[in-house]
Amino acid sequence: MLTIDAVSFHYRGVRALEAVTVAGAPGKLIALVGRNGSGKSTLLRLAAGLLSSTRGSVRWSGLDLRTLSPQQRARSISYVSQRPQLSIALSVVESIRLGLFSAQSDGLARQRVTDSCVELGLDGLADRPFHELSAGEQQRCLIARALVQHRSGGLLVLDEPFSNLDPAEASRVARVLRARALGGGLVLVAMHDLTLADQIADQVWLLERGALLASGPPSQVLTTSRLCEVFSCEFARGPHGITLCALADRAR
Amino acid sequence: MSRRQFTGVLLLSSFLLAGVVFRLLIARQVNAHGLRLEWPTTDILQLRVGAVESALLAGGALGLSGLLLQALLRNPLASPFLLGLSAGAGLGATLVMLSATAFNAGVVGWLFGALGIADGVVAGTLGSLVVLAVVYALGRRDGRIDPLTLVLSGTVVSSICGALTLLAQSLLPPSSRGDSWMWFMGQIPEVPSPGLALLTAMLLLGMVIVAWRSGRALDAASTSDDEAESLGVSLKHLRVMLFVGAGALASASVALCGPLAFVGFVAPHMSRLVIGAQHRALVPASVVAGAALLVWADAIRQVIDFGAGRLPIGVLTALIGGPVFLGVLRSRRLVPGGWSC
Repeated sequence: MLTIDAVSFHYRGVRALEAVTVAGAPGKLIALVGRNGSGKSTLLRLAAGLLSSTRGSVRWSGLDLRTLSPQQRARSISYVSQRPQLSIALSVVESIRLGLFSAQSDGLARQRVTDSCVELGLDGLADRPFHELSAGEQQRCLIARALVQHRSGGLLVLDEPFSNLDPAEASRVARVLRARALGGGLVLVAMHDLTLADQIADQVWLLERGALLASGPPSQVLTTSRLCEVFSCEFARGPHGITLCALADRAR
Repeated sequence: MSRRQFTGVLLLSSFLLAGVVFRLLIARQVNAHGLRLEWPTTDILQLRVGAVESALLAGGALGLSGLLLQALLRNPLASPFLLGLSAGAGLGATLVMLSATAFNAGVVGWLFGALGIADGVVAGTLGSLVVLAVVYALGRRDGRIDPLTLVLSGTVVSSICGALTLLAQSLLPPSSRGDSWMWFMGQIPEVPSPGLALLTAMLLLGMVIVAWRSGRALDAASTSDDEAESLGVSLKHLRVMLFVGAGALASASVALCGPLAFVGFVAPHMSRLVIGAQHRALVPASVVAGAALLVWADAIRQVIDFGAGRLPIGVLTALIGGPVFLGVLRSRRLVPGGWSC
């Protein structure tokens, strides 16, 4: 269980999050949505234990993340950054193997690397240098690395994992993340594609200006009136989910 | 260890071994041309073994120090002297020469002598250690080492030390300025101080073990701070280890051979070309490559004499290594932090 209790965070005096209280249970996929700069990445970094809150506490399985060492956190929480960075020339498979840093590198672990490559469609790229891949392929590498690190029942935190993916790959990643949630893990994903969030998430957390505006099932949180208020544009909800009105007009 | 890594270590070790044999057998040419290889007399052999010992230790220390700093700063251009260690050592040595001239018979001269720092080697080492401490203090943000702040602090401290060294040299009597310049060009002592050599060997061995054990952490730390921490790397502790270890290794090499900036820069890149990017294999490879570079440079300079004695070692490493490095740079693609091989 991830418990975020009255969490505030300030970057050098500037408020990024204010008194956010929310919780997520294992077995769920939670979409974190909101405008640029609304505090999504900050909340994800707090949930992954990469930041310490200014006030309040973040707990995973009852443990305050501030009391855990990076190695202890890595055994139950994996994180995918918004911006991939790798300053040495590793191959795709070598970069994915970094996910085993906190684990025993035995036969089973090596099998997890192979399985993740296949799951993310990277098996044909295994020996290619990471830095020669496209942005979307690099993104899938990072997700594969997090999957290798992820243990059953653990927390998987992803910051905009769909941002560089084409529709086919986005759909593949969405299926993989759903499968991890169904396997008992808690998957927390920041995303801007509201249609996708509506389709794949069990819950949506909607942030605005550092505050939690709403949380709950997508149909209750992603209402057209609320989205219009937050994003300052018209949305419509049809049989295929949520669409921006400009697009809906064009479709008509 | 993969087949490529094994072959690479073997290749570098063969290069080192050939250099050691060449250095032991090559006869110094005075006012003559050509190579002359011969088994030396016992006395001369002792001197050559001493020079090989110095070059192995200083080269190995510089190679490993360069690798650790490139990992710490995520910067392929990092070297042990980017952080101002060389400039600090130079300032320390020059200040002692100035003090010896100005206060030779005075209280300061006596004090320096009593403290055992009336010597370029000790003062140079102290200078580099003081700079290490200053750069460490300046290179921290929010209680932890920040690679960018560290590089900028090192560059600025290096410039300040360079300016102060020039000032101190301008105050030296003209007859003493030559000693100062010779120290800056580096040396390979044929009779290294046994205590210093033992200390450097122990430090090098200790750091090889620590860095080898941290090899996977160094790979993981080549991602962003957030990614590395989420993989389980304690960046705070790793960076202190890298900084202190690299600084101590560079200071030890300064104590042995004076400032030799080029070796620590090239050895890790040379290793990456044959080994790849994984740090567990790069640690021993960089030590061997650094040692091989310095042993070969010392061997080659035995046969170059422009009429003023052997070529200074620092000049030779830069003259050979610089063009080689540029050639490699143009033939391979440099990715952030390493080589694409």
